[in-house]
Amino acid sequence: MRFHASKLTIGLVVSSGILLSACSSNTESSGPTTVRLLAHDSFVVSQSLVDQFKKDTGITIEVTTGGDAGSMVAGAVLASGSPSADVMFGIDNTLLSKAVDADVFSSYTAADVNSIVPSLREDTAGGLVTPIDYGDVCINIDDVWFAKHHLAAPTNIDQLTSKQYKDLLVVEDPASSSPGLAFLLATIAKYGDGWTKYWEELNANGVKVSGSWTDAYESVFSASKGDRPMVVSYATSPPAEIVYSEAPKPSKPSTSVLTEGCYRQVEFAGVLRGTQNEAAAQKVVDWLLSAPVQADVPLSMFVFPARSGVPLPKVFTKFAAQVPKPMQLPASDVNSHLNEWLKTWGQVMGR
Amino acid sequence: MAQDLGSGDGPLNAPSWLKWAWVPPALFLAVLLGAPITTVLQHSLEAVGNFDWSSTMRIAGLAAVQALISAGFALAIGIPLAAVLSSYQFRGRALTQALVTVPFVLPTVVIALAFRGLLGSFLEPGFLLVIAAHTYINLAVIVRIVGATWQQLDTREVTAARALGATPFRAFVTVTLPQLRGAILSAAAVVFVFCFTSLGVVLVLGDSSTRTLESQILRETSLLLDFPTAAMTAVLQLILVTVVLLLGARASVTRTRSTPVLRIARLPRPRRLRQRIFVFAIAGAGVAIVLLPLVSLAFDSIRGQDGWTLQWWQSLTSLDAGTTRLASPASAIAVSLKYAVISGLIAGFIGVLAAMSVLAHRVGRAVALVALAPLGLSAATLGLGLMLSFGRPPIDLRSLDLLIPLAHSLVAVPLVIAVVLPTLRATDARAATVASALGARPTRAFFTAYGPTLRIVLLAAGGLAACVSLGEFGAASFLARSGAPTVPLQIMRLLQRPGDASLGVATALAMVLVIGTVLLILGVDALGRRSLAR
Repeated sequence: MRFHASKLTIGLVVSSGILLSACSSNTESSGPTTVRLLAHDSFVVSQSLVDQFKKDTGITIEVTTGGDAGSMVAGAVLASGSPSADVMFGIDNTLLSKAVDADVFSSYTAADVNSIVPSLREDTAGGLVTPIDYGDVCINIDDVWFAKHHLAAPTNIDQLTSKQYKDLLVVEDPASSSPGLAFLLATIAKYGDGWTKYWEELNANGVKVSGSWTDAYESVFSASKGDRPMVVSYATSPPAEIVYSEAPKPSKPSTSVLTEGCYRQVEFAGVLRGTQNEAAAQKVVDWLLSAPVQADVPLSMFVFPARSGVPLPKVFTKFAAQVPKPMQLPASDVNSHLNEWLKTWGQVMGR
Repeated sequence: MAQDLGSGDGPLNAPSWLKWAWVPPALFLAVLLGAPITTVLQHSLEAVGNFDWSSTMRIAGLAAVQALISAGFALAIGIPLAAVLSSYQFRGRALTQALVTVPFVLPTVVIALAFRGLLGSFLEPGFLLVIAAHTYINLAVIVRIVGATWQQLDTREVTAARALGATPFRAFVTVTLPQLRGAILSAAAVVFVFCFTSLGVVLVLGDSSTRTLESQILRETSLLLDFPTAAMTAVLQLILVTVVLLLGARASVTRTRSTPVLRIARLPRPRRLRQRIFVFAIAGAGVAIVLLPLVSLAFDSIRGQDGWTLQWWQSLTSLDAGTTRLASPASAIAVSLKYAVISGLIAGFIGVLAAMSVLAHRVGRAVALVALAPLGLSAATLGLGLMLSFGRPPIDLRSLDLLIPLAHSLVAVPLVIAVVLPTLRATDARAATVASALGARPTRAFFTAYGPTLRIVLLAAGGLAACVSLGEFGAASFLARSGAPTVPLQIMRLLQRPGDASLGVATALAMVLVIGTVLLILGVDALGRRSLAR
């Protein structure tokens, strides 16, 4: 058990501007421990859980945000070996192998790893990370629009290229948007080499490409301010619509989810290699997978907990879509082909 | 450039410390710019071998055309506005001037959304919408830079030309325009560079025809994690931008005549009917252009699904309470204000010193040119380079809560120089000569000539830097940080989740930023006017 780099030591290092780590690594510190948790901008948990953790273990969690998931991982990769935090949360399966290749993580999986739902349990990059939550990127449908236009909503993504759905879909540019990329990967997983043909047909059928999820969902999607009734978003967007809506809250969402052709995003946590707080950092990873935090995850971040048997809030069980057969690609495939896929996609779509 | 100080009137005995004014800015730049750029350069070397030149140059070409057209529109609307604002006194002038500056310091994401709401129904995302937004954002650059010089012009020459029978237009073309050319060219260069390196606007409002190297760098950094290629693209962008800025700087040196200035405490009111119509039509149009998107934003902040509501404003203090999102939206305001004050102080001090040393010393001139580099260094690269150099042990500035204000200052310093330099150049140095002749020591003589101007520009520059800090998003979004987010980051977070409350509170918070910015700029302008009337 080594607890160094107490607040005092960090203060000393910074204020004197001298690297004291060599000395401080020999110092047994009995003071309070702080673990810096590097997370993306969307990370939230209830403050009461953080306070409880401190009460139980004496460890203070200091959340450090590093932009969106991509920017956060980019920063972590560049700082590999001398990280500015102790634990990273929120790296997903698209980016994981880049971070693993860059040797960002120190070996550790949560003690409770067997409590994780079986389909995710093996996803640890060889014992480097722990799955914490998952979510699916799916086409969302504006039910009100389809009812008004007496049109049946599609039931799988093959149908999106047919004439009756011309000019009705908006997607995000995979080069600048994470759900946009997930949808591209879903089509690659589903159609294999035929994916370019699928996108050519989508293009011919008037698919619109937005630069960001915000623009697509808030400005183009007909359930918000736009005129297109289908958008690439999340399987949990309908319950989020209710939770983040104006009071009195609607009794049910006006949108639903096309549960075919979805891409599964898994978010992981891992101890960063080079941390001065190895033992405490490992406790934070355990904490992220603990039942109370996992129960908090749905309403905080609108994702599903990776732990099995965690009770879900009512708004989730009622309105969040459960995706029977989500698409996924091996992380190493994504890593080696991503640039080429994006280039090809750009050519196909004339962007 | 030592001869600049006493141009035309014999050598001035400049105070000896002025020779060393370049030292603080040089140190500031060496540490905060030198370190990140070195890191980036190191990485870029690895990509030289297999760099995709053809597609990169194609994007650069597209971005250049877009930036040229955007700068053209900004000039076409900005120059008449600058003319009215710097030639006449009229009711609402200060407010107009403050309003015009607001779009420049608002986060691009907010502007993009406002434009989408206003023009989205008849303009598809793409070239035209991007140009409209860029023109809107950069009006302030033209009005401020050109206006600063314009206010210092000697009106007697125009009066003389008019007395000799020249029409107002002819007097403008033959007398005023040549004196403004330097300011116009350097303002145009700055606008070109902003549009050429634009990110937020092209992401939200653009399509394939509006890509920039900056959006390419973002893709290479945070999606492909291909740092060598990203660094190479950043270096290429830096070179292109430096060339443009050097051309602009050269133009402003060769074209600006050092004119003796008749300082007037008050601008004339428009008297004749035609003058009044001219003034109010142009000022009115300027205000309308600036306000339309903001008014639509304001309406959105008090409108719910079933009519008017104050709920979004009330939620500013309560949304996300009790979570690790630290911060209610309102607490982001305090964070932003703190950063704005620190950045305003640092950037104002460094920028004004750099501008002063241009007048005094050859080295100073080189330093000021280097200080323009952050304009062309992509915000993402800057943030990344800063984080690599100072965001991790052994020097972890983030723990001191200084990295973001330092990044903001770095971004603001070029603007401070751009605002301060033409004004200093146009200041009449003869007062110093006179003071020297009357026996004043060099320092005293210097402040006799430059003191009043310096006081104004220091305030204006600090205020502008504070505004830049309030709205800055690019570099800050890339810097890992503990503690509460700034307002633009908080807005971005809210926009990234569904539900009308997220959007509603985001618009309310954006309105807070709009109001804060207007107040800040009004304050800066009022202070400036007070020292001018002194």
